[in-house]
Amino acid sequence: MANTVDSNELINEIATKEYEFGFVTDIEMDVAPPGLNEDVIKFISAKKEEPEWLLQWRMRGYKAFMKSEMPTWQNFEMPELDFQAISYYAAPKNKKKYESLDEVDPELLATFAKLGIPLNEQKVLAGVAVDAVFDSISVATTYKEKLKELGIIFCSISEAVQEHPELVQKYLGSVVPHSDNIFASLNTAAFSDGSFVYIPKGVRCPMELSTYFRINTQGTGQFERTLIIADEGSYVSYLEGCTAPMRDENQLHAAVVELIALDNAEIKYSTVQNWYPGDKEGKGGIYNFVTKRGACRGVNSKISWTQVETGSAITWKYPSVILQGDNSSGEFYSVAVTGNRQIADTGTKIYHLGRNTKSRIISKGISAGRSQNSYRGLVHVGAKAENARNFTQCDSLLIGDRCGAHTFPYIETKNNTAMVEHEATTSKIGEDQIFYLNQRGIDSEKAVALIVNGYAKEVLNQLPMEFAVEAQKLLSITLEGSVG
Amino acid sequence: MVNQHSIPLYQALLQAYEERFSGSRASEPDAIHKLRQNAFHTFQELGFPTTKVEDWKYTNVIPFLRENYTLSTTPQATATELEQAHQAAAIPGMDCYTLVLHNGQLQPAVDTNQLPAFLKVISIEEAMQEPSFQKHFGKIVDAGKHHFAALNTAMFTGGLFLEIDANSHLDKPLHIIHTYSSADNLFTQPRNLFVVNRSASLSIIESVVAPGNGATVFVNGLTEVAVAENANVQHYTLQTANEQLRNLHHTEVSQKRDSVYSGYTFSLPSAQLLRNNLHINLDDEHTETHLYGLYLANSKQLVDNHTFMNHRFANCESNEVYKGVLLDNAVGVFNGKVYVHQDAQKTNAFQQNNNLLLSPKAVINSKPQLEIFADDVKCSHGTTIGQLSQEAMFYLQSRGIGEDAARAMLVTAFAFDVTENIRIPALEEHINKLITQHIPAKQELVNV
Repeated sequence: MANTVDSNELINEIATKEYEFGFVTDIEMDVAPPGLNEDVIKFISAKKEEPEWLLQWRMRGYKAFMKSEMPTWQNFEMPELDFQAISYYAAPKNKKKYESLDEVDPELLATFAKLGIPLNEQKVLAGVAVDAVFDSISVATTYKEKLKELGIIFCSISEAVQEHPELVQKYLGSVVPHSDNIFASLNTAAFSDGSFVYIPKGVRCPMELSTYFRINTQGTGQFERTLIIADEGSYVSYLEGCTAPMRDENQLHAAVVELIALDNAEIKYSTVQNWYPGDKEGKGGIYNFVTKRGACRGVNSKISWTQVETGSAITWKYPSVILQGDNSSGEFYSVAVTGNRQIADTGTKIYHLGRNTKSRIISKGISAGRSQNSYRGLVHVGAKAENARNFTQCDSLLIGDRCGAHTFPYIETKNNTAMVEHEATTSKIGEDQIFYLNQRGIDSEKAVALIVNGYAKEVLNQLPMEFAVEAQKLLSITLEGSVG
Repeated sequence: MVNQHSIPLYQALLQAYEERFSGSRASEPDAIHKLRQNAFHTFQELGFPTTKVEDWKYTNVIPFLRENYTLSTTPQATATELEQAHQAAAIPGMDCYTLVLHNGQLQPAVDTNQLPAFLKVISIEEAMQEPSFQKHFGKIVDAGKHHFAALNTAMFTGGLFLEIDANSHLDKPLHIIHTYSSADNLFTQPRNLFVVNRSASLSIIESVVAPGNGATVFVNGLTEVAVAENANVQHYTLQTANEQLRNLHHTEVSQKRDSVYSGYTFSLPSAQLLRNNLHINLDDEHTETHLYGLYLANSKQLVDNHTFMNHRFANCESNEVYKGVLLDNAVGVFNGKVYVHQDAQKTNAFQQNNNLLLSPKAVINSKPQLEIFADDVKCSHGTTIGQLSQEAMFYLQSRGIGEDAARAMLVTAFAFDVTENIRIPALEEHINKLITQHIPAKQELVNV
């Protein structure tokens, strides 16, 4: 598979390919029959023309998956998942759901309007067929050339497997092993595609890299795999997701993200997640079960996670940092907003292993309606991690008397030079604050939005600028109707 | 997964249950027999907890259970044993009523006669016909949920029943000395019930001691405390037993309207294993609860404090401060949970846990938790882990205070948030003395 085929060619190529593994089936050639078994994995691997080692690795993931049991420690009732009902391979093409914007749910369009999304983008996001060449594709191409000059590799992971197998083989699965947890194993066995980023030594990536551009051309997968490597002295800021509500037919999302920062390198990873949360009763929303982990391998390296989580019926993820290198640092900034019957069980894990490592955790949970919002975090200081320093603050805001906010921090210290601080508060929005704003002519709904934005500011400030503006609007929209 | 049957104690317990408790006992009402039976089934289902059980994640109790233990009750304490117990538990300058329980058995002490008539103190076996016993026993703690509480409920022997009449005030603290010593390894399960009736108030000091150098004693104790309307209880626990003691103690408190319960737990060297479960159920509105804890652990001690504040009703207040100082190879665990039910609006809950790590090998695992289902609440928790401030040490030394004295001074100051709340001056002084006594000189800190 050539690396710059445009999407139509790619689809044709796969669609016309001989069906190799003898499934007797009536469905289209570019979709594997539902269910996961060794044949399906071989089928996926063959379709992607993957080398033998990758197939072997997928098989190890499959074996680990078959052995794993569903965890029971999470703070919500696990929905029944039928892994054999999912189709694990679909050729990357965008399915068009509607012929024109008139057919799209007016409520969705109203949200787009509030977020200020251009018409063309609205169409793509809602799944409307777009005839004209979509602007961002050409934008993306210009970007790609610029990045190439600097030696930065930014492509899909399938492409990277073909073009840069040595890098992929060296780092893939080195942070999140194939047997890490049931969803990571599943992802290892069946990952469809994802992003690959390599920043060479001493290069500072001049722009924010974003999946947003890539997704429109390649199509997103249910089991995405992202691998970002920042070589010595490099810097990259990576954005994932977008503020607009994404239409998606897959209920279960089990992505894996691996970050590797070598000596003096820095990776900043920002996520805005606004997948479909389900209807008011919580039916039909997305399950977002993602494994995200970064390793600060080198000295003075830094990894920072920022996340704004407003969507999904269930968000269950703990973006983590392993601080291996001396003087390395990790950061985690999170805003999780839940409404209706949404559930969020999120937080971070920080492992201090090297000397003089630092970490900072700021988590803001906002629950409204009948939602449940949990912070679960681990700060671990190993026996050799001298002078480790951690500061954690996790605050919860409750709006309405039927929601819940929970905090489960785990703090383990095996070194007496460690300084660890943790604080958490839970409260509701002060009536006096709302009264003050009312009195100044601001209605209650806007007042709540204002207060919540102020409350989350510490985290929103970490986002790249355009993102931050959109995220602010998003917070207000998510909380609409939760007052009064 | 640990095979429960590979633990000799498990086998011995099954056998002992069959022999001693499976049939109904003449001395016990049917209700108790039934309670024992249900609890035993629960224990058989749950077994001993492994570290896979969330509540026992940081405390692996299995190795402590592997030795051979006898389950038989021990004979009356000898005069020497009682003398030793009194010495070990003595709090200088304190004016109090004193009771002694040896391996869970209430000892006929001289002092009992002097107790006021409104205070009833009898052994748990004698108490089974008491109306208060029947009203509260086994109803405060939910034996279905906890491994060791179930085991205690199924097979308890010995323990204390204490009841104070309504509207009475005990003028002096009641000092209860729990002393443990045995020639052979002993597994003992005392069970206590304290009933504090309407508008009564008293202070209880429980000292846990194991003087001498006898065989290992494993205690799985359980205390239920019923605090009625408008009552006020100060409940101190002071654990200063020797290495031979392994002590699991579950305290379950039920508080009624307008009552105040203040729990103080001081865990000091050098019992091998100390696990304190302190569960407070706020069973009506307008209650007030204070929990203060201090754990100072050295050598290879494992000190584990689990607290659970169960806010079931509106307008209740709880306040919790636990401080830890860890020396040598000691391991400290703090797990504090605040649970606010949906109807418990206007709850005010505060929790704080601070730890000092004074040795390179010391370990602390802290797990504060908030679970909140009501919106009109003010809840917060904080945890810190750190060392003595270099600046403070330097300041004191520059004022001519020796290094060791300065260190002891700073540790005492660190503990002040807890010790200042002790309402009995003699006890406060005693505890400060114990802290200073256990802070090692610099030489010892380095050589660990």
